[in-house]
Amino acid sequence: MSLDRRELLKRSGVVTAGLAVGGSIATHSVAAQDDVAPEGLVFWTGWNDPVRSGIAETLATSFAESHDGTEVQFQVFQTEDLGETLPRALEGGQGPDVAQVNQSDVMGPLVAAGRLVSLDDYAEEHGWNEILPEGLLSRNMFSEDGSQMGEGSLWGVPAETEIVGFFYNRAIFEEHGLSVPTTMAEFEEILGMLREMGVEPIAFGTLDQWQAIHMFGEIHGAYTTREYIDDLIYRRNDASFDDQSIRDAMAKFVEWSENGYFMEGVEGLNGDDATPVFTAGGAAMLMQGSWAAGVVNQEMGDEAGFFLMPPVEEGGDVYHVGGVGLPFAITDNAEDPDLAAELIAHLVSEEARGMLLEAGNLPAGEIPEDRIVEGTLTGELYSAWNTALEADAIGHFMDWAAPGIFDVLAGELQKLMAGETDVDTAVTTLQEFYAASFEA
Amino acid sequence: MQPPSKPDSILTTTGTAGNAPAVPVSSSRRRGAGIEPWLYLAPGLLIFTAFMALPTLGSLVLSATAWNGVSWDTATFVGFDNYVRAIQDGRFQTAFLNNIKLIPFYVLLPALLGIIPAALTHQMRLKGARWFQAGLFLPYIMPGVLIGVVWAWILNPVFGPVNKVLKNLGFNPPTWLGDFTWALPTVGFIGAWAAYGFCYVVFIAGLQKIPSELYEAARLDGANLWREFTTVTMPGLRREIAVVLSINLINALRAFDVIRATTNGGPGDETQVMALYMINSAFGANQAGYGTAIAVLLSVITLVGSMLILRFLGEPDE
Repeated sequence: MSLDRRELLKRSGVVTAGLAVGGSIATHSVAAQDDVAPEGLVFWTGWNDPVRSGIAETLATSFAESHDGTEVQFQVFQTEDLGETLPRALEGGQGPDVAQVNQSDVMGPLVAAGRLVSLDDYAEEHGWNEILPEGLLSRNMFSEDGSQMGEGSLWGVPAETEIVGFFYNRAIFEEHGLSVPTTMAEFEEILGMLREMGVEPIAFGTLDQWQAIHMFGEIHGAYTTREYIDDLIYRRNDASFDDQSIRDAMAKFVEWSENGYFMEGVEGLNGDDATPVFTAGGAAMLMQGSWAAGVVNQEMGDEAGFFLMPPVEEGGDVYHVGGVGLPFAITDNAEDPDLAAELIAHLVSEEARGMLLEAGNLPAGEIPEDRIVEGTLTGELYSAWNTALEADAIGHFMDWAAPGIFDVLAGELQKLMAGETDVDTAVTTLQEFYAASFEA
Repeated sequence: MQPPSKPDSILTTTGTAGNAPAVPVSSSRRRGAGIEPWLYLAPGLLIFTAFMALPTLGSLVLSATAWNGVSWDTATFVGFDNYVRAIQDGRFQTAFLNNIKLIPFYVLLPALLGIIPAALTHQMRLKGARWFQAGLFLPYIMPGVLIGVVWAWILNPVFGPVNKVLKNLGFNPPTWLGDFTWALPTVGFIGAWAAYGFCYVVFIAGLQKIPSELYEAARLDGANLWREFTTVTMPGLRREIAVVLSINLINALRAFDVIRATTNGGPGDETQVMALYMINSAFGANQAGYGTAIAVLLSVITLVGSMLILRFLGEPDE
């Protein structure tokens, strides 16, 4: 960080907001009104929606107040822009002190390049190891050479967590005498009944591809094991896409598509466009992540509920698509890493967790029991999350398996839905890409 | 085409032009003349060097490396390996073929959709043509991403107006952008819609330089509208057609924004194109060297295609 910029930060003592480059970045500076800031911090965030960018601003203000007016200048990015801009800024000797770093394709290369500061000592000091169980915290760990995810030092701490499941319309369920399924067979029976009765069973959209991966991941979660899904994502123990669990899940995915369990027009609908279809009563269920809970809650209130993918057999294991949100990391651009760590501690503090909960988001860690109200959407979501957390049943986002595999996996799933390929060919294509990614 | 004008004013500084008397030139003036042109050129040359030459050179260097796009420490020199890999890469081949399939939509269709109203408004001397021109040109100045988002909404199979109307008429419409058969023609049609206003304006400009006497002579000879079009309009628009086809070809080969905003290359690889594959390889798969090699190949293919069009459709004396 240049001295000129620090001087500039010190002199601006009020909250400012404005658009920066390309309209995709909003810049805000926050400091206590009457203090002269001894230091300044720059924070790049992917919290780009009004709710979470508002939380970031509030937290930056309270941090400034509790740290002698230390100014926090935070810039809001679209998630993809953040991933593309951060490495290039750091390589040029610029960039933020603290940034949210995507674990799937950015964190590893940044660790390898020495651009991030290890948080091991800070985690001990601030108790970050206690926020999440090891299985979730390890998603922010990489070996020193950046090649091995899931082990080594801790490079980021998340404030949020995510889980994918099924929002359901209570009125439609009650009207047809349906209840939340406890096994895959029950679930399929419900889906078949709804289709027969002319009700769209599951709303989601595969046009922009990502929901195809989530739907497949949910089904795969019912057929896989903790060991396999971890090995596949962490790229260890010769994991391969050519696995029976992948084949079973693909066959089930095709079966559901052919049986009409997915809503009509699913292949021409964007993922986010499925949510308003569901909230308008256009389908009995919505396959979506917990991040949509706020919108669903706003539109439907407690007329909506939430459940997780049931197991193949009662009492069986399911590893749900999900994980941790973008974690906060300290870059090698930080002149005062200790101060940067204090900012992260503030961003993942109880105060931050409370604000995220109030906004309907899913903060990292277990949700307090007093927050769970039976019969409400958020109550069912929090309860489902706590159950999955306790059972170590949070799976992964499957496109984390290799950089660039998103397009290949989504493409093969779209082909499977349209009958343009078969399971063997899809598995072979995926495995070839996955194997080649180790050589790239 | 008008012959280039002779730079008489320059000649007077170094010798004689026509009957102008010789002007004695001092030695200091001669030395100044050596530097002066460079001073005029310097601003443009600096901008060209900074924003064209150096990035091009940098891209060529990058394309010969295996680099993750994050840290230079990880870059290794691999020579032409990235180019060999691209040529052998089935997904790149698919993307290239999809760009070729887009040519009728991006190149020919907008030219056709532009030249017909241009010729009609010109030959029939329609009133209010200026408003018509402004309306047709509007899509061309809209950002491609916005066009993609709007068309994705129009063609949405669940709540889009197109399928609602078709269903009310008793048809069973496809999902357009999500349909393996219709996705590529649909993004092609959107691309054509975005470009035909530009073609129209270029053709209108070209038509205005065709002497009206030619049309009057054709009418005196009994030519109808079609005959006027084939014997006067088309030959008179030869240069404009070359320019339009050349620019449309560049747009077809570098197609990205509309496709990124509508299908993201899907379903499957049906609308995967070279520019999209380049971006996904460089930034999605963390293979910046390979992505840059694809960018260089894309540039070379575009350059060759444009040169071929200008060669065959340009002025005979060019």
